[in-house]
Amino acid sequence: MPATDDLHEFPHRHLLGIDGLSSKDINLLLDLAEDYADITRKAKRPDAALAGKVVVNLFFENSTRTQSSFEIAAKRLGADVINMPVAASSVKKGETLIDTAVTLNAMRPDALVIRHSASGGVKLLSRKVDCAVINAGDGTHEHPTQALLDVLTIRRNMGKLKGLTVVICGDIAHSRVARSTTLALTALGAKVRLVAPKTLMPKGTESWGADQATGDFDAALEGADVVMMLRLQLERMDGAYLPSRREYFRFYGLTADRLCLAKENALVMHPGPMNRGIEIESAIADGDQSVITEQVEMGVAVREAVLHVLAGRAS
Amino acid sequence: MTPTLIRGARILDPANDRDEVGDILITDGVIEGVASDIRAPAGTNTIDATGLCLAPGLIDLRVKTGEPGEEQRETIATASAAAVAGGITTMAIMPDTNPVIDDVALVEFIARRGAAQGKNRICPIGALTRGLAGDAMAELGLMREAGALYFSNGENSIANAGTMKRILTYAASVDATVAVRPLDGALAGSGVMNAGALAAKMGLSGVGHDAEIIAGQRDILLAENAGATLLLDQVSTPELLSDIEAAKDRGANIRCTVAAHHLFFGEADVGDYLTYCKVSPPFRSERARLALLDAVTRGAVCAVVSAHDPQPPEEKRLPFEEASFGAAGLETLLPAMVTLSHEGHFDLLQAIRLLTSGPADLFSLPQGRLTVGAPADLALFDPNKVWECDRDALISRSTNSPFDGRTLRGQVTHTMVAGEWVYKRA
Repeated sequence: MPATDDLHEFPHRHLLGIDGLSSKDINLLLDLAEDYADITRKAKRPDAALAGKVVVNLFFENSTRTQSSFEIAAKRLGADVINMPVAASSVKKGETLIDTAVTLNAMRPDALVIRHSASGGVKLLSRKVDCAVINAGDGTHEHPTQALLDVLTIRRNMGKLKGLTVVICGDIAHSRVARSTTLALTALGAKVRLVAPKTLMPKGTESWGADQATGDFDAALEGADVVMMLRLQLERMDGAYLPSRREYFRFYGLTADRLCLAKENALVMHPGPMNRGIEIESAIADGDQSVITEQVEMGVAVREAVLHVLAGRAS
Repeated sequence: MTPTLIRGARILDPANDRDEVGDILITDGVIEGVASDIRAPAGTNTIDATGLCLAPGLIDLRVKTGEPGEEQRETIATASAAAVAGGITTMAIMPDTNPVIDDVALVEFIARRGAAQGKNRICPIGALTRGLAGDAMAELGLMREAGALYFSNGENSIANAGTMKRILTYAASVDATVAVRPLDGALAGSGVMNAGALAAKMGLSGVGHDAEIIAGQRDILLAENAGATLLLDQVSTPELLSDIEAAKDRGANIRCTVAAHHLFFGEADVGDYLTYCKVSPPFRSERARLALLDAVTRGAVCAVVSAHDPQPPEEKRLPFEEASFGAAGLETLLPAMVTLSHEGHFDLLQAIRLLTSGPADLFSLPQGRLTVGAPADLALFDPNKVWECDRDALISRSTNSPFDGRTLRGQVTHTMVAGEWVYKRA
């Protein structure tokens, strides 16, 4: 069982984003997550760190993957998990976001895992509740547990983060993953190159700590240790931000030929779900360099660590 | 290939600031030497061009044909034959055909037809938006790789500023040049000629300068912010030209073309409801025309185009308001510019610059210059030949020329593409 002394060293009540976390905070979560990953791999009995605690999944935007990952993480720690189907319930009946939060707060859960389609929506809710709030993705703002699982996957495979060059390619403008992961990587000393056509590249990425923002994928791949592809929303593909899928694949799809431009044995990552043949070639997604399924595995471990640290505290 | 030596011509090579009598030697399709006196190697074809001007072949950035879809107007073959009679050795073909050239396969089709049927070099222009509908952007990157020279939305601006902004932004990432006809559709309305006293007198609805200026200014601002290369196509108002000059001075990649007929004609030429003078943008006032010429003289314009737009009689033999827009222009491009030069608006070298190295440099083309090693694309013309334009004598399939009946100076006698003579005047 991981050391629980760490609990009190994490100086935040919520996990709303990577922004505001120190490298020490991030490393604390990564170390704990790594312990949990090992526990799971060795098929040990679930740790009961959250026995008797109640974790509520409040997903205003559907996400089977992330919600399941949080649910499994909480259950492994012995918590009781309630999935509130908000997309289909009170919100539909016209209840405001704040009212939903106040109502839930009155039920005294120990942690709220929230996904919301509006940037800042999770933070707004966090102000109205007494328990720990974990951001499971807010609009195009942050997705901190995704960032943590990304850096943990890299750390496990490369042994370090400092000095690595990570290329993140795709719809940077609308990606909460790109923001959070860039913040986490740069906090830990990695260099980040963001790649997107200009229509999908926001201005001011240097404020996230990115080393480079470019439209030239091939050039950015040179010397890369990690290549992370982002999911493209298909509705953006149809002539509005991009001409077509095939043109996107031609210039920004990760193919075997392109991957050769990166360092030998560079890691291939993707937060999923993938559009095979649009942002990534199937052979690469399933290839030796891909750590995409390990990302999913680390997702649970990271969420265990986060829930442990935030919900495991004595109320 | 037998070498060719052209002797004694007045060599006009604006790219190298050369205007002097000399010889030029062509071997294997490229320019081998340019000098005051070249000794012909054995077996050379020698041509005495004394009294003629020798210029790089003309590059016309705006040519419409009817192929595919409306071959009764013009085919690539007929346009090409007319072009070489006008000294045009490279021409860019507009995408507003049926179907619209908005796809890689269609770009390749135009290039293939051009190579098979054309006497000169033919560069496809890709559609900026699918079907030229002004909505969804077309595959700019893939079409560029397939050989599209630049991208145009045909005769229409993109009405939606948000769409235009995204297209310019995307074009900048694939290094594509975006060309637009600056024309605010709402302001242009159903106007058929220049707005003003004459239109009012004739009872015709007019298109004011504002329709061009507002659309142009908007796109300059959007392109500048996006870091895109914008080519404003067929500018007809001196006001917008000033804005373009100011943008250029700020370092923005804003360029423009002017159609030769806008330098030559004014609204008064519409005269007795002459539909061959119905073009868009319309011929402007004499004051605007002179201001436009002045801007050309001071270097505000990168290229002069023919804006060749073949319209058969059934489209033109109609009441003025019902007749289609457009003028044939391939065969009168050079003579119009030579005539204006004789009138003293600019010197001959500058006229040639706007037709050769000016357009070439917009797209870093190797032709358009008489530099050793450059493709041997040449036009020989008699700068003093006075002739009357007779539309029935034009080679173009449609002969809707506003120059019909006009006296012009300067006539092409020979045209060479890649070292081969493709036209000799009978």
